[in-house]
Amino acid sequence: MGLFNREIFNRSKWRRFNILVIFVIAGFLAVIARLAHLQLFKGEALAMKAERQHQQVIDVEGERGIIYDRAMREIAVNLDMPSLYGTPSSIEDPWKVAKKISHEMDIDSSLLAKRLDNDRHFVWIRRRVPPEDVKKIGDMNLKGIGFIPETRRFYPKKELIGHLLGFTDIDNHGLEGLERHYEKLLRGKKGTILLESDARHRPVLTSTLFDPLKGNNLRLTIDEVIQYIMEKELAAAVDKHHASDGVGIVMNPYTGEILAMAVSPRFNPNTPGNYTSEQWRNRAVTDVYEPGSTFKLVVASGVLEEGLISPNQIVHDGRESMMYGGAVIHDPHPTNQPMTFKEVIAHSSNVGTAKIGITLGKDRLYKYAKTFGFGEKTGIDLPGEVNGIVRNPATWSGRSLITISIGQEIGITPLQLITAASAIANGGWLVKPHIVSEITDSSGNIKGIKPELVRRVISASTSRKMVEIFKEVVGPNGTGKLAAVDGFSTAGKTGTAQKIDPETGKYSRSRFISSFVGFVPAESPEIAILVIVDEPKGIAWGGSVAAPVFKRVAEQTLLYMHVEPTEREQLKIMAEN
Amino acid sequence: MLKINPIALFDWKAFVIIILILFAGVLTIYSATYTIEGVNTGPLYIKQTGWALIGILFLFAGASIDYQTVSKYAYFLYISSLLLLILVMIIGSRGFGAQRWLSIGGLKFQPSELAKLATALAITRYFSDYPARYGYTVKELLIPGAIIAIPVFLVLKQPDLGTSLIITFVSVVLIYLVRVRSRFLGFSTLLLLMLFPFAWQIFWENLKEYQKTRLLTFINPAADPTGTGYHVIQSKIAIGSGGFWGKGVLESTQSHLNFLPARHTDFVFAVFAEEWGFFGLVVLLSLYLALVSWGLDVALKARDRLGMLMASGIVSMFAFYCIINIGMTLGIVPVVGLPLPFMSYGGTSLITNLFSLGILFNIKKKRYLFS
Repeated sequence: MGLFNREIFNRSKWRRFNILVIFVIAGFLAVIARLAHLQLFKGEALAMKAERQHQQVIDVEGERGIIYDRAMREIAVNLDMPSLYGTPSSIEDPWKVAKKISHEMDIDSSLLAKRLDNDRHFVWIRRRVPPEDVKKIGDMNLKGIGFIPETRRFYPKKELIGHLLGFTDIDNHGLEGLERHYEKLLRGKKGTILLESDARHRPVLTSTLFDPLKGNNLRLTIDEVIQYIMEKELAAAVDKHHASDGVGIVMNPYTGEILAMAVSPRFNPNTPGNYTSEQWRNRAVTDVYEPGSTFKLVVASGVLEEGLISPNQIVHDGRESMMYGGAVIHDPHPTNQPMTFKEVIAHSSNVGTAKIGITLGKDRLYKYAKTFGFGEKTGIDLPGEVNGIVRNPATWSGRSLITISIGQEIGITPLQLITAASAIANGGWLVKPHIVSEITDSSGNIKGIKPELVRRVISASTSRKMVEIFKEVVGPNGTGKLAAVDGFSTAGKTGTAQKIDPETGKYSRSRFISSFVGFVPAESPEIAILVIVDEPKGIAWGGSVAAPVFKRVAEQTLLYMHVEPTEREQLKIMAEN
Repeated sequence: MLKINPIALFDWKAFVIIILILFAGVLTIYSATYTIEGVNTGPLYIKQTGWALIGILFLFAGASIDYQTVSKYAYFLYISSLLLLILVMIIGSRGFGAQRWLSIGGLKFQPSELAKLATALAITRYFSDYPARYGYTVKELLIPGAIIAIPVFLVLKQPDLGTSLIITFVSVVLIYLVRVRSRFLGFSTLLLLMLFPFAWQIFWENLKEYQKTRLLTFINPAADPTGTGYHVIQSKIAIGSGGFWGKGVLESTQSHLNFLPARHTDFVFAVFAEEWGFFGLVVLLSLYLALVSWGLDVALKARDRLGMLMASGIVSMFAFYCIINIGMTLGIVPVVGLPLPFMSYGGTSLITNLFSLGILFNIKKKRYLFS
């Protein structure tokens, strides 16, 4: 460059001049070094930052699937409810904005102002805003305030079917019931929208990267009308007997389809916050109880299946009590007459059943309890189902054989009981109960859920014999005569279980669980019904408390289902008139 | 005497470099303003092309007028520019919080641009008229000091921090080159260090609020990402996202989506960087560096003290502009608001810069002519 040429004019200045040159070159070098740093080393990160800045990827929730009952009535739907958000970084006067918003909707002005007074890019102000507020706030045209379209789960039937449906959280995640069990299927697939915006956050163009997919729709086996009948009658009984709560199930005994599953008291899934988590529980599957006499179906089926006793065989001399294993058991209503096997079940004689239990023996009693599905989950498509408690015979005490025979020292769920009763009703098969019958995906493909048979429990002939015995229970001399449905032959079994008094640890004399499990019409059952009333006050017999509920539910359900009374029964009615 | 064709003495290589940079500037302005909506000032790139053509005429003028003649009019130019600066304070039009422009028949004129050149020429003339063989004493520096201080003060008042810094810097370079007595240098350095806190305080208190925040944001741009730091952050993002090969002309997203402020004026470099990448920048910076070294060469080989001082003043002004502008775009220098010579949009600055370089052409030409 010749910058250092000493022969040029004013040689004495060359050193000073070179310092100037060095300064200039150093300046340029600093600039180039910084450029290399920015573009070559930090380039990728800054490019990403650039993308992020003007390309906002917005997640769009896919709509949650709708839940229908078996007649395609909507029981869980989505309401459009946009959510209000703020972008604090673009809000100039958060206090003013907060005041304006709080003026239109119920929100604390100073709390909101604090939320908006920071440098975050996004804060929710209020999720799921009702339409009238959306309009009012939208009209104000506030800078840095906007709505994102969202939906809110809504249960149009309110309390009806509440325990089955469960509910979702604010983000539409299923938390309880079917909403939880089918969360993955119901949940829509998130879509993403690419929103390119300029520096003033004005959208320049939007393009959909992935379309949001709607979640799967569910069609339930539940029938809203039958559910209503059950809920209404159960509530009436709980009310009438001042009981603490109740459970009722209606099931198709052949397919395991649950037509109704009610828990009393009910809860409204639209406002789960108003209830305790206790009240959300679907006791039909989550709670274990000591069944009492309804459990006698196990020991009875067992001895018949093993061919140890025939229905009309005398098995009991009618005495009031007996000693076994160091314990005394009583019959509340002793006949003091010899009783056949059939009569023992029909009158629900504890002493008689104990003797049958002794005949069957420990191992076979255990085997039949397990075969009928007790002590294991039924596998129903609901969350929170429990196994129940069926202890191994090795751990039984001396008197366990007879106490288990009469339905104590054992823990079952209501659903297990109705499934076991269904096996007697349907000719001997244990079915898998289920709630969902069809799953329809977002493109309309329908997947049907087929009924599943778990195993054969008893032979068809044993089941026929058991049906005859269960008909006796509902017969004029049976404990469950109040369950008899006019025009239909009815079969079932009562149960009155003493509850363990938590204070003494012994069976209470005042706290009972009254139940009735049965099916109708007895020979070709359309429905199996279980009614459990917990802690009725006053008369607590299953036959007096639960059996009438069974009757009323069965009558109305059969009418609704257009089941014609059996010809023979019809004739009987006509003859009586 | 030698017969020399004046056209042959014109440095065509340097001229081509200037034309290339001007072209890059127009192209980048075209790209940067491509998507501006609702601005009805007419296509800015066409205006800039017009200014560039006028500026080239000024360059030729500067190259043809003897620099000694130019120097003769230095004081006249200086006084005129001072009057214009005072005028701008009275009737100037405001823009972006500052009073910098004079409107003459619909055209806007920025007297501070003229003042910076006039001041450089005036002190060059002074030092040339009063040479001090063994360096200047404090007393001898009082007059040039005043020559510098008046325009610096007036420009600072507008306020235009960038230009007043340029005037100061160029003057410091010139004083350094003419040599001051080393005793004075030591003394003044000491004095400066002692006075610095007071000077800083006075300086700080006289700054406008936005100037203070600019300086503070320079220290930590992320402290105010939506305010003052925004410029720097955005321009860094723009430059960084250009990568090695750039995004291509008209493809710069940061600039087109309005993220980058002042993108056709002070931050035009960032747009260029985003579109042309590191590769384009190395080419562009090479052009600037070539021009600066050419100017330094002209200064060093000038045939007299006046030529050397004039050339040094002009080239250091030019280099300072480039470094400060690019530096602030890159976030290594505070945002003081200086244009990038030949690239940023703006008529006055373009014409003044081209005229200044024209003087360099003349100084170079004269070294071959012995009278």
